[in-house]
Amino acid sequence: MPFEVMVGNKACAHGVRLSRVQVASAYPVTPQTTITEYLSEFVASGQLKCEFVNVEGELSTQAVVKAASRAGARTFVCTSGPGQLYMHHPMHGTSSGRLPVVMATVHRGNKSMQPDHTDLMSQMWTGWIQWYCENNQEVLDSVIMAYRTAEDMRVRLPIALGYDGYILSYTAETVEIPEQEDVDEFLPPYKAVPSILPEDYGAGGGRGRGGMPGMGGARDPQAGWRMHHEAVVNAKPVITEINELYGKKFGRKYGNGLVDEYRTEGAEAVIVAMGTIASTARATIDKMRSDGKPVGLVKLKTFVPFPREEFQRIAKNVHAIGMIDRNCCLGQGGAGYSEIRNSLYEMEDRPKILGFYAGLAGAEVRVADIEKMADKTLKVAKGEKVESLVEWPRLGVAEGEE
Amino acid sequence: MSKPITLQQIPLEELVIAPGSACQGCGPALAARLVFKVLGPNTIRHSVPCCPDNVTRTPGSGGEFEAGGDHVTGTWRALKALGREDINVVGFYGDGGTYDIGFQSISGAAERNENVFIICKDNEAYMNTGGQRSGATPLYAMTTTTPIGPYGRGKPTPKKNLPMIFAAHYVPYVATASIAFPTDLIAKVQYAKGVKGFKIMIINTPCPTGWRFDPSKTIEVGRLAVQTGFWPLYEIVDGQKFKLNYKPKELKPVSEYLKGQGRYRHLTEAETADLQKRTTDHWEKLLKMDERGEVLF
Repeated sequence: MPFEVMVGNKACAHGVRLSRVQVASAYPVTPQTTITEYLSEFVASGQLKCEFVNVEGELSTQAVVKAASRAGARTFVCTSGPGQLYMHHPMHGTSSGRLPVVMATVHRGNKSMQPDHTDLMSQMWTGWIQWYCENNQEVLDSVIMAYRTAEDMRVRLPIALGYDGYILSYTAETVEIPEQEDVDEFLPPYKAVPSILPEDYGAGGGRGRGGMPGMGGARDPQAGWRMHHEAVVNAKPVITEINELYGKKFGRKYGNGLVDEYRTEGAEAVIVAMGTIASTARATIDKMRSDGKPVGLVKLKTFVPFPREEFQRIAKNVHAIGMIDRNCCLGQGGAGYSEIRNSLYEMEDRPKILGFYAGLAGAEVRVADIEKMADKTLKVAKGEKVESLVEWPRLGVAEGEE
Repeated sequence: MSKPITLQQIPLEELVIAPGSACQGCGPALAARLVFKVLGPNTIRHSVPCCPDNVTRTPGSGGEFEAGGDHVTGTWRALKALGREDINVVGFYGDGGTYDIGFQSISGAAERNENVFIICKDNEAYMNTGGQRSGATPLYAMTTTTPIGPYGRGKPTPKKNLPMIFAAHYVPYVATASIAFPTDLIAKVQYAKGVKGFKIMIINTPCPTGWRFDPSKTIEVGRLAVQTGFWPLYEIVDGQKFKLNYKPKELKPVSEYLKGQGRYRHLTEAETADLQKRTTDHWEKLLKMDERGEVLF
């Protein structure tokens, strides 16, 4: 298989090409823009046979792929920050229609051009599956896995995969490009269910609203919500299964598809990180382990549906978990922190949970920063009292300078 | 340009299978009945929030109000990718979904020259929510958000000239029509059905509930709109070739059209005269364009 040094946006576009996407739509927004350029080149050169619709705004991109997916085409859409917020309304329609659209969200925060996860986190309740990727290889692999997962009849939900703008979008890394024939074997063609084509349409007429999976009816107005919620929750084993299958076929998988544990064996405390912070955290864990500190890392890949069972299992073996949130749900706190605490409430003997805000508005998170967070988590694991379990650490400040 | 037909040539097939929950004398429901007779069953028809005026024997889906141009775009592009270019892709929307909240997406679809057909059943206000003003509401018309009082004289600004706005997108086909002129309407749908690229037709559809007239008078009101020059019937090909389809020797005075409608009951003589002048000026421009056979922007 060929290797190439490429930026994250190109890795993403290769994933789209290999998945043989039939209709794509996008509106340029930094730092997503170059995906649209790479895709345009793939289409112009004949490497990808795709209707690439360059529309007049992000709301339109989402509505276009929604309608195209409903009509039976495999679809792709991508955006960043403000564009993500702008397309919020039709995102609900896509997921309520149980349409397996795949979207790349190249993170750009809501308070600056720089990356954080607030763009995609603000779509937490739209009924989309959410993945967060750590490096360019994972971006490419995740696009292909996302189609297989989203189109699986046990799931039939749209998937958003986020990766940090600039840090990945415009940064080159070595990426292995899978062979087309292998991807074709892994990813069967997409079929819309039910078909909207006139010849398949019920002879009894009707306006075409009925028949979609997951829609409620007059008898049980809540059914649409219940079925949609259950579909999101029940996607977990399918995500794990397809992650395994991908590993067998291509030699790479990402933990169990939900979380990826790194050196957690024998750890008294773990830190949890998402996206590119997980890469820095791996280096930090290596350093701390060589210093004899029993700390491990959990990379959180699937945020929606939240891997509760995984955290319950991990929590049994540690005394403290420190969540690094690259987001802040204003007035509520870090989304990961809240979800982990929520997941462990039922446990008789649960570890302490700490929350750290880091990397918001593109703030740089270094090994030393993560080490401080992990050290604090380890202190709490050893029973030490600390001032506050939640903090906004000062990033980029060396020990002793504070 | 469309080819005139006779009443006998109107297709017998009915694609509308139930009147929905339309009001008595609903103009838009009749527009649907006529339009879908011609489009036939090999059609995917999308809707956005609007009056529930009919149920048709065609697949499609409801979609976001603001994205009417995108629903048809996505469907058309998918059909193209799947090799099913034989299917008509139609957006059947109200004036809110076309003139206002849906305008951006439809303008985008027009500019990209998507192979879709947008049909606007224009009843000149947001009737589905109880008759609030829209960009299609004419000057001085009373609506529930432009009421009459010491400080209110109905809508203070004129109706958007939407057909000309789309003509300025240089799309293959733009037409106005009226439910009171069914042969003209049907001839235009027949023509549009055979055109590849973006088509838009704006149909004047009187609304007894919102315009405040007796439900038995829908056709009469619709006919007067055309006969007075208030809603002229014309078509534009490629944003350039122009044809006025209904040209009486003399227009009836607009007061004849206005007097039957409660939404204009408050008009003063000066206001009626203003509407007459605007209508006459507009008509004269259209006559000039018709004479030259082209649009003059």
